[in-house]
Amino acid sequence: MAVELTGITKRFPGVVANHDIHLTVRKGTVHALVGENGAGKSTLMKILYGMQKPDEGSIAVDGEQVSFSSPADAIARGIGMVHQHFMLADNLTVLENVVLGSEKLHGIGGGARRTIQEISDRYGLGVRPDALVEDLGVADRQRVEILKVLYRGARTLILDEPTAVLVPQEVDALFANLRGLKSEGLSVIFISHKLGEVLSVADEITVIRRGTTVGTAAPAQTTPRQLAEMMVGSELPTPETGESTVTDRAVLEVRNLTVHARGAVSLGTEAEPAAGGLTEFAPAGEVKKVLDDVTFTIHAGEVMGIAGVEGNGQTELIDALIGTKAADSGQIVFLGEDITPWATRKRRESGIGYIPEDRHRQGLLLEAPLWENRILGHVTEAPNAKGFWLNPKGAQADTRRIVEEYDVRTPGIDVTAASLSGGNQQKLIVGREMSHDPKFLIAAHPTRGVDVGAQAQIWDRIREARREGLAVLLISADLDELIGLSDTLRVIFDGRLVADADPATITPEELGSAMTGAATGHLHHSEDSAADTAPEDEAR
Amino acid sequence: MRRVSRIAVAGVATAALAVTVSACGSSSTSSSSSSSDKNLGLALAYDVGGKGDQSFNDAATAGLDKADKEFGYKSTAVEPQDGESDADKTQRLETLAKQGYNPVIGVGFAYAPAVKEVAAKFPKTTFGIVDDNSFQAKNVANLVFHEEQASYLAGVAAAKATKTNVVGFIGGVDVPLIHKFEAGFKQGVADTKKGVTVKSQYLTETAAEGGFSSPDKGESAADGQIDAHADVLYAAAGLSGQGVIKAAAAHKVWAIGVDSDQYKQDALAKYKASILTSAMKNVEGAVYGLAKSVHDGKPETGEIRGSLANGGVSLSDSNPAFANDKAVQDAVKKAEEGIKNGSITVKTS
Amino acid sequence: MKKFDKERVLVAVAGPVIALVAAVLLTSVVLIASGKNPFEPYRLMLEQAGYSDVQVLIVNQASLYYIAAIAVALGFRMNLFNIGVDGQYRLGAMMTAVVGAHVALPSFLQVPMLLLVGALTGAMWAGIAGVLKVTRGVSEVVATIMLNSIATSVIGYLTLTDNLGVLVGDNVTTGIMKDSGWVPGIDLGQDVGEIYGLVFLAVALGIAYWLVLNRTRFGFDLRATGESETAAAASGVNAKRMVLTAMLISGAVAGISGLPLLLGDVHTYSLSFPAGLGFTAIGIALLGRNNPGGIALAALLWAFLDKASPALDYAVPVAYEKEIATIMQGLIVFAVVISYEAVRQWGLRRQQKQVGAQLAAEAANPNAHKEVAA
Repeated sequence: MAVELTGITKRFPGVVANHDIHLTVRKGTVHALVGENGAGKSTLMKILYGMQKPDEGSIAVDGEQVSFSSPADAIARGIGMVHQHFMLADNLTVLENVVLGSEKLHGIGGGARRTIQEISDRYGLGVRPDALVEDLGVADRQRVEILKVLYRGARTLILDEPTAVLVPQEVDALFANLRGLKSEGLSVIFISHKLGEVLSVADEITVIRRGTTVGTAAPAQTTPRQLAEMMVGSELPTPETGESTVTDRAVLEVRNLTVHARGAVSLGTEAEPAAGGLTEFAPAGEVKKVLDDVTFTIHAGEVMGIAGVEGNGQTELIDALIGTKAADSGQIVFLGEDITPWATRKRRESGIGYIPEDRHRQGLLLEAPLWENRILGHVTEAPNAKGFWLNPKGAQADTRRIVEEYDVRTPGIDVTAASLSGGNQQKLIVGREMSHDPKFLIAAHPTRGVDVGAQAQIWDRIREARREGLAVLLISADLDELIGLSDTLRVIFDGRLVADADPATITPEELGSAMTGAATGHLHHSEDSAADTAPEDEAR
Repeated sequence: MRRVSRIAVAGVATAALAVTVSACGSSSTSSSSSSSDKNLGLALAYDVGGKGDQSFNDAATAGLDKADKEFGYKSTAVEPQDGESDADKTQRLETLAKQGYNPVIGVGFAYAPAVKEVAAKFPKTTFGIVDDNSFQAKNVANLVFHEEQASYLAGVAAAKATKTNVVGFIGGVDVPLIHKFEAGFKQGVADTKKGVTVKSQYLTETAAEGGFSSPDKGESAADGQIDAHADVLYAAAGLSGQGVIKAAAAHKVWAIGVDSDQYKQDALAKYKASILTSAMKNVEGAVYGLAKSVHDGKPETGEIRGSLANGGVSLSDSNPAFANDKAVQDAVKKAEEGIKNGSITVKTS
Repeated sequence: MKKFDKERVLVAVAGPVIALVAAVLLTSVVLIASGKNPFEPYRLMLEQAGYSDVQVLIVNQASLYYIAAIAVALGFRMNLFNIGVDGQYRLGAMMTAVVGAHVALPSFLQVPMLLLVGALTGAMWAGIAGVLKVTRGVSEVVATIMLNSIATSVIGYLTLTDNLGVLVGDNVTTGIMKDSGWVPGIDLGQDVGEIYGLVFLAVALGIAYWLVLNRTRFGFDLRATGESETAAAASGVNAKRMVLTAMLISGAVAGISGLPLLLGDVHTYSLSFPAGLGFTAIGIALLGRNNPGGIALAALLWAFLDKASPALDYAVPVAYEKEIATIMQGLIVFAVVISYEAVRQWGLRRQQKQVGAQLAAEAANPNAHKEVAA
């Protein structure tokens, strides 16, 4: 065994931790580590590379127990890492870059040059020691990074998303290099979420989901589809909405909502944070619409899900609804009133709840105690305020209630929000928003980075409120969550709502293909069409 | 609200405590050993940016050194802190007086309120205040000067020396004291030669910004004036004047020094060929004179104003190129006579 | 909950204490390096602090520092760096002096009127930076630094004798203020001196600062903006209005920071009116952790170093340089910045660890937790 990780657990306050991870890398193999963004791959690799210490578990290199307290320890044990973002000095030559920091190994002159040439030849890297790094292309730079690691005597290489920056031909060349390394008896840990590549280069695959290893697979006996299922975990209990509670009373109507990219002419007052710096002006006549003529209605008791690849206008839609970004045209009507010109605070006071997509940046004051976080967003409302004055007692009492009712695991309400785990932070936010009896809730990724138990609780809360007539806009990257919770589904692509679907019949795969813009209009479920293509899409 | 009142009570209590604590300790002046039987000598209190300016303040120090040597004094000179108020100056003078220095001299008009206050408390000590005559007291000597008279002569010399018919004036800080230099200089130029332009510039608005203590500021101002064809530069800018002289030397034009005879100063020896003359203000003599009068038991009091007539201000002639230029010397002599006999009145602003 | 309160006090106190100890040690190193006794200066300075006249000087000076530092701290609390406190202070003092010299109302109207003049002047000056930031995205750091210089020139212009200036000897003043605007102090005798009446204004401002920040909706919004601008925006704070309001209040407080001296002692604005108060105040606000009590202690400490150090010049048999105090002040600022950040991170990690441990213990014994919850 080159490397063996056993029972690795790493707790971070507020983020998904690694939990009981097992990973075995055999000598002379390429071992792929796959998982969604945020599944815990980077944390695991940081642990293996000595950048972080695990709370539990052990690391063995060549069958020997080791404990790393810095990357230098890891390098000494023959473990090297090629980061996603290259760490090279542009104004130095390849030789200088490689030698930098390891001058003791082979000196800085002829000896070093010979060694570099030798490594380059042996693995077919084709690196010229005297070329200036700034003259090199991306693929060459990557080979320099690999050489740097080999020069330091690495026997196990960690490559973090190495293909993200490469074009297909370069990917093939890289894979040829990797096979070369493998044939020399070196091991490679290959981190990726591109399933096609993983299947073509890896000898073994370990899948990580929600911070833990969910299984290993041999490429020969695995289809992309199976791998995708392991990654997203469709066998997990999915949320079920049960019978429909949708009424015909419209709570939120959005009509022809259009928002231009920042810098374009804006009609309303733009509430962008002033510290953002100088405004970037779009070239004249080229106004990008980040939201383009969006129209929908959400009724009381209805959860409307929005599916889409991130960056297709979801953030702008949320901002426009909560009022942190002004609509350039169109109308937002809430309970029969046109709220388009309203400020954020007025919208919130009138009954719009908000579970923001980035709870650390938008939902919490991380260094403030829980009870102050309970005030956040509702500073003008009871029990947080009495007229002009704050009411700390009221807020504290109500925080205790939320902690109890929403099962927020905390030793007290005076600890800072940062010391809670992500799930508990999110439960606090959900509790806070639900405590003001919202008529309409914006729920952006309500269970992202939340452990399974908290996830179920949050789903329950949303379902419960929906029964009582709450209208919900649900935005999520988790397709199972979308399908399971929503009464209606829309797909957003490039700022437009391009498709709609019935969550009762649609599959994640069908939804996935619509998210790439491949399908529009009303999506019908068909037994054979999208089922096999969706994972392929992901693999590309 | 209970908590609020508690904090209010705490605040008031703290303030009250501060007051009572202050009231019970003894004061530093009353407890310090007042060994004032023997006169320790004279004490100088500088204003911000004092010591080492090769000009005004160092002239005062020279007077102190002279008195030390002559009367066997162990004099002292104290520098201030940044951003201090009148209360600090008062405390400083009080401490010096209490320790037995006599006379105690505040160098610079900023000391006026402090001298006024402390002089009343120590009637037996003689106080000096340089550059201020805003008040008089029995035991205070106001050491002031007709800076404009020496500056007038500098103006005469500049008008005679210029070939481009452009001369420059660089003031350290834009304050009335320096306005006197400018006014005298301009009048001297205008009375001597028609059609000479005087370029006038002040380095900073306040002393705190370094107008008297930044040779770099002086140098760049001088460069600017030289670019505008000025070929004689008169700097009334304390330490900053060194930069002016340096720039003048670099561009081979004339500089006129101020306060001390800058031609003779070691720090400026490199550039001395470019120092035409200096408009001297005899602070050294004034300080020494006050110390001597105290030593002799007949302390000076009231306004002691240095003028051309009593040698309190003058134009130096240590540069041979200046001393031997008959045309210039004649003009300067004539102007000096005129001022002395009252046929020329020099304006102060 | 008790435990976390203690925890917070520990974290709050550890920073300044570490900073002070480090600064004292480093100053001693400087003394040793220059061949001086490394402890004697402290003894001399502490001895000074025992004298009542020095105490009066300290309290008076601290009142100026305190008000100016409150102005800085207000900005800090919402991530605004108002470096312009100095300009706002000088301009405020000058305008107050001018108005005080030309308007004579009965005392009970005159003093509040003068305070208002100072506050409005400071607010207006800071407001320029606020408006620039809100409408044009100009960093308030740059704008306020420049406004400091502009204030200097404006003051220079306004105090020309052609305008509002009155020449006293060679000193330019704004004329003596009408005595209805003089605030009587607490006279402690001929030898000791007078405590400025407006020392109590400083105390009142400290209380108001605490109340507004911790007990009002506005204060919560302000703090929220400071802690996380994005979270504040999402919670409905209008960031632009908040920036402008905070700048105005900070400027208003800065505008009256010179008034204890002006109304209590010198009664005129002149060339010798102390400059640089606003910069010192930045250090004091930092040392005081933007906390009204902490700032009070920091202001007193600073004033102590200022007022006790001149005695070093006259010490017998060996005189010390009073610049030792300046070195110490500089070192304190350095040490404060470093130790606060270190302690803050340490405290955060410590708390996270404790919470983690506590929850792990609960998780290990789920039944116990259920009982508690039920």
